Amino acid sequence: MKALPDNMHVLSGSYALDALDAQERAEFERHLQHCPSCQAEVRGLRETAARLAIARAARPPARLEQRVLAATYRTRQLPPLTGARLRWDLRRTRVAQLFAGWLAAGQSRPDSSQASRSDRSRGNGWSNSWLRSPRLVGAVAAASVVAAVGLGITQVSTQHQLDSAQARSAAIAKVLDAPDARIEATSAPAGGAVTVVVSALQREAVVTTRGMPALSTSRVYQVWVMSSAGARSVGLLASTDHIGQLLASGVRSGDQIGITVEPSGGSTRPTTTPVATVPLTT
Amino acid sequence: MHDMNRPEIRATRPDPGPAEGEAQDLAFLLAQVARGDHQAFEGVYGQLAGPVYGVVRQVLRDPAQSEEVAQEVLLEVWRSASRFDPARGSGVAWVLTMAHRRAVDRVRSETAGSRREQKVASEAVTEYDDVADTVETSLEGQRARRCLDSLTDLQGESIKLAYYGGYSYPEVAQLLGVALGTVKTRIRDGLIRMRDCMGVMA
Repeated sequence: MKALPDNMHVLSGSYALDALDAQERAEFERHLQHCPSCQAEVRGLRETAARLAIARAARPPARLEQRVLAATYRTRQLPPLTGARLRWDLRRTRVAQLFAGWLAAGQSRPDSSQASRSDRSRGNGWSNSWLRSPRLVGAVAAASVVAAVGLGITQVSTQHQLDSAQARSAAIAKVLDAPDARIEATSAPAGGAVTVVVSALQREAVVTTRGMPALSTSRVYQVWVMSSAGARSVGLLASTDHIGQLLASGVRSGDQIGITVEPSGGSTRPTTTPVATVPLTT
Repeated sequence: MHDMNRPEIRATRPDPGPAEGEAQDLAFLLAQVARGDHQAFEGVYGQLAGPVYGVVRQVLRDPAQSEEVAQEVLLEVWRSASRFDPARGSGVAWVLTMAHRRAVDRVRSETAGSRREQKVASEAVTEYDDVADTVETSLEGQRARRCLDSLTDLQGESIKLAYYGGYSYPEVAQLLGVALGTVKTRIRDGLIRMRDCMGVMA
């Protein structure tokens, strides 16, 4: 971080001209949050860039106006941002790109699994502050959007399915939005990554997998809540989906989320050694 | 009740910019648009459709695609007018930043294909003022052109390729055959010089 600001500062011009790639753009925007002088500079350079656009003004086809005006009558407007919502929305925008990169890259965020491990070793509780990091909670929120989009394309065909998918997205969003939401991340030794966002208050956890190795058609991944009392199935994940997401209810601290490979259709109890486990630490 | 949450338009804005009177009107119109005023939106359209369409077409080139993106951007202005914050810049900059970014995102999403590669090869040395039926340039537009011409060659080329060409700065460096660091600095220095030349205040 020490040497960054200088290098970063030079990017203000390229940022104002949208000449950064998605990753650098996100990095620069994070830098901007803490650099008032950069904010001022970017503001001025944006105004300047706008003048470059004005210098190239061109007459649009006449039909454009009719189309746009007609569309405004069919388009609901966004409400203004207020208070907490404002901060939350800003966070989401900031992390969405980062997480999109994480999903696309097909590798786990090393810092997240590491931090989560060290938190565990220190024996921190539900309300551990790192785990409430807005960045990651927002990131998983972005993941649920990605997953929901995937669902829309691959699985949802009937209105009934659509409704239940929407209900599930709403339930998932509720966990991600919970004030005490915390995150655990791990990578599976055989490949793929698992992220769990858990709310102790709601006793629910959102399990997101990414890039799990493909299985033969007769096998599926099954997700379990494992406790000293035994294992309870959360649901199945198709191994062909790059991203999978399930909601586990009635979890308590001390439980583990485990993922096993099972015959298609799933099993009543785990029949193989888990490919990944994520403890919901106390 | 919602109206109360919306910041009132400030009497003095931190970024007056060259066309202060016009920009003030735009900020006022955008506040009206945020409350669902269709007539105010027509006013916004009248002021900004030309620059929006112009800059999008400058980047995308294809008229049909440009029309589509311009439509998306202008509708987005309607949709998200409540999110415009006059304390953070002028309405013109808000809308045109959105337009340019949308056009660039469209270009980049096509980058995966070889189409982009071919374009880099065939259009590398295109001059960026050859788009036809440019609107009678406003005074402000003329001033911007003069200021752009006052830059060093490398500054001017870098800025034109990045902004009008929609290239990322590494692509600009490649096209101009100069080091990455050089392009980053030239873009920033050039823009700062333009800003001062046009009297844009930050």
